[in-house]
Amino acid sequence: MTTIGTLDPTVNVRFEDVSSDDELPVQQKNATRAQLFMYSAASFNPHRIHYDRDYALFEGHDDVLVHGPLQGAWLTQYLTDWIGPNGRLVNVSWQNRASGFPEVDYEFHGKVVDCTGEPGLVVLEVWEQTADGSVLMPATATVLLPHSG
Amino acid sequence: MSDLIPPETLSRVGELLLDPVTVRIDERESQRYAQAVGDVNRIYFDEAAAHAAGHRTIVCPPTFISHAPVPARPLAEVREDGLWRDSGGVRLSVKRMMFGGEEWDFLESVCVGDLITAETRLADVDEKSGSKGPFVRVVRETTYINQLGETVAKARQIGIAR
Repeated sequence: MTTIGTLDPTVNVRFEDVSSDDELPVQQKNATRAQLFMYSAASFNPHRIHYDRDYALFEGHDDVLVHGPLQGAWLTQYLTDWIGPNGRLVNVSWQNRASGFPEVDYEFHGKVVDCTGEPGLVVLEVWEQTADGSVLMPATATVLLPHSG
Repeated sequence: MSDLIPPETLSRVGELLLDPVTVRIDERESQRYAQAVGDVNRIYFDEAAAHAAGHRTIVCPPTFISHAPVPARPLAEVREDGLWRDSGGVRLSVKRMMFGGEEWDFLESVCVGDLITAETRLADVDEKSGSKGPFVRVVRETTYINQLGETVAKARQIGIAR
């Protein structure tokens, strides 16, 4: 198994360098409570489960929740960081299967599923998991990568 | 037949859920969003970096366009649970709506200063059975169109209600 590319958004990964089953580098994320508040503010989202712990417990959650769309935005960041400046994110779809909580380490992983279609197009399987491997958010994506030279 | 989906909701499939909203993509709001996500790609902040990557000017993070059209609403319209009243929801006989996921097609980059029109339709609503009993899957599809008439993105947001 080969790890391909970097998570530096200023560095391109080239289509010719990618093969099926290659893995993407792992990205770590851990949201502070302040980050959840700032994300609510930036998206003008007053939903109490994201900042009011007592209310979140009342609704049956273990703590305030990381917004599903914030985890989706982390996922698109993971992909655009990997692609680099001259490729393009074509599509992505994700399922929020389990709740995410602040002050917990999450990992983004990915692998190349197919790069034998239209030249430049790469299909990826990506997911967000806990440190012990429990998947919160399975996803698939298609990216368009630049060619060498 | 479904116990959880009233007939008038089923008949709305394909309808616009909200009036189309047109909004100018604001540089500062986009950058606040990028910082709140922790996504500090230079193409969101630096014009030269954006040009070098082939964009007309500074771009916004891909998912920012789903937040940009959110209207500035009065606090009196916030419900007890913190959700907005009458925010283009559909009527269902359920207690709680959870965020189930999203599907995005990105067709063109979106730059600061672009005028984006968002049109949200009820794409699908159906009842399914799961390990915790029946649930309803609600799919809202939003099409984003820029000032040149180009469709820049399509998003399908999946809500799970039970």
